[in-house]
Amino acid sequence: MDRTERILDLVALLLDAREPISWAELREHFPADYGGSDDAAERKFERDKAELVELGFPLTYVQGDDERRDGYIVDREAYYLPEADLTKEELAVLYAAGSAALTSGVFPGRDDLAHALRKIGFFAGESLPTPRVRMELGATQAGQEKEVSARLEQLWDACASRKWVDMSYASPKHPTATQRKVDPYGLALRRGVWTLVGHCHLRGGLRTFHVHRVRELKVNTARPRTPDFQVPEDFSLDNHVAYFPWQHRFHEPVEVVLRLSGALASRASGLFPGATLEPAGEGVTLARLRVSFLDGLTRFCLSLGADCVVEGPESARSRLREMAVRVANRHADALEDKVSA
Amino acid sequence: MSNVHERLRRLLFLVPYVSKHPGVTVEALARALNISREDLLEELDLLTCVGRPPFNPDDYIDIYVDNDRVYVDLDQRLFAPPRLTAGEAAALAASAELLRPASGDALQSALQKLEHVLPPQVRERYREMYRKIDASTEAPQALGPLTRAILERREVMFGYASPGRAAEPRRVRPYELLSHRGQWYLQGFCHTRQDARLFRLDRMEDLTVTETPFLPPPDARADVPNPARSTSEASVRVRFSPVAAPYVKERFGQDARPLADGGVEVLVAGDSERWLTQWVLSFGGEAEVMEPVSARAAVARAARASIGL
Repeated sequence: MDRTERILDLVALLLDAREPISWAELREHFPADYGGSDDAAERKFERDKAELVELGFPLTYVQGDDERRDGYIVDREAYYLPEADLTKEELAVLYAAGSAALTSGVFPGRDDLAHALRKIGFFAGESLPTPRVRMELGATQAGQEKEVSARLEQLWDACASRKWVDMSYASPKHPTATQRKVDPYGLALRRGVWTLVGHCHLRGGLRTFHVHRVRELKVNTARPRTPDFQVPEDFSLDNHVAYFPWQHRFHEPVEVVLRLSGALASRASGLFPGATLEPAGEGVTLARLRVSFLDGLTRFCLSLGADCVVEGPESARSRLREMAVRVANRHADALEDKVSA
Repeated sequence: MSNVHERLRRLLFLVPYVSKHPGVTVEALARALNISREDLLEELDLLTCVGRPPFNPDDYIDIYVDNDRVYVDLDQRLFAPPRLTAGEAAALAASAELLRPASGDALQSALQKLEHVLPPQVRERYREMYRKIDASTEAPQALGPLTRAILERREVMFGYASPGRAAEPRRVRPYELLSHRGQWYLQGFCHTRQDARLFRLDRMEDLTVTETPFLPPPDARADVPNPARSTSEASVRVRFSPVAAPYVKERFGQDARPLADGGVEVLVAGDSERWLTQWVLSFGGEAEVMEPVSARAAVARAARASIGL
């Protein structure tokens, strides 16, 4: 019998049973499948049982007593999806976000997500909203989505089952791709880019990897139901993945003060989320922020133009000046005079 | 995940779905399951062989197509889908993070209700998996009201500061929200400019949703101008140092021309001098505009201005 068919038969049998069903009975019911040698038959049933549990089928084995016999039973109450009584607004939020993630094409756990959306929509009838929210995630070049999407799906499974992965990683910092074994701890999305955080066996520590830079990826297939590693208790994705370039952890954090004027003054909170802002006179805002990658900040400040001035510390001021002078001098012939640093 | 697993999940949803929607068309059912018509018919074939021992005629699932509509007479107790698995709930919760904080309290309460309908034995695993995926974007507050305005088809008003100009009032029919490289945009029809426009959410001020209704066009879909993709008006030649080259290659792919010194050169659109200048400056000296001279001069002026010259 086809395995899918056999497992569905088991579901139908167990959902209908009023009494526990013993192993002997199961062998009798499925002679062609579980009727062979004891060992082979048991192994086959164990695999089917694992699949049922994976599907969320609440199957348990009960030891018999005077009242009832030994066997497998299912908690029917715990099997069926109950109505979650989501309000229209709650459903709209879940649906809008879920559909946006699905249509973006690049979201880990896509299959899981699609099933989840179907299930929460089961009781909603035809009234599901069709949101118009679209996200472009995870790919740096057009046409790369499919590959990134496939990698995310593999990584999602590996994170969930805690299996190590073996991957070839092309970092822009190195001329050639490196082969790495990584224990995947989790996935984070920052400014449209997916990052894998995990323990890198090659470097012997926690490392972050942009998923679009993963060239080849294999998930350890040995003993799929036994986890290969533990994620440390105090691990948090947020501590390892930067939102903004100046948050990369390249040096000890320093506090930098920026003076924003003109159109930038009112946009300060959007440009530098998390910064402490204080008004400093008419149309001027001071922004204080913690910076652990100074070049990341100075490059951004430079692109904002003359309305963004670094007030301090001196190291940040001189770095911005250095960069600006370099740009000015590389383009000096257009204005015909050089600037000295 | 194995094919068997995917298939089982699909079939355990299919039977209850037809049970709840008797007479659903083959077309609609295939769409609901996101599979082709042929695959659906194959699944229905398989289901007619499914039943429980002792496999008497009444023990089988009785599902059939009549006049291109699907019915189930005997569902063998498959009248509702299984509860969410840990993976399904975690993926849903993680995707919901995409719209935080715009979704406000609704998200929190929805997630609580979802957790409540999870089987007790998977709750722990769900929490563990939920911690493993972090999709919280920096979604601006305006996402909430704008999503509502799009759904309810109501015009919006806001002050918009175009680059280099003070904010001016705009009245807009909101069509679609779009996130591109971490930046949120609203695509819509601007009454003030009498044209389709793309607005960055971080440049909006004092957003209000009006009572004025509108009918959205069926194909309101916008693309964010992407210098790496537009080649028709590519008229500015920019050169990058070997340090910046790998990052530029990542974005431009084959369009990045390698240079003898290890750097690369690309052609980008020159229609927005302001954008080009910002972009070149954001490489902090690792990029140089080669031509035209007017663009070189613009970059030089901007660099000098930023150090008060």
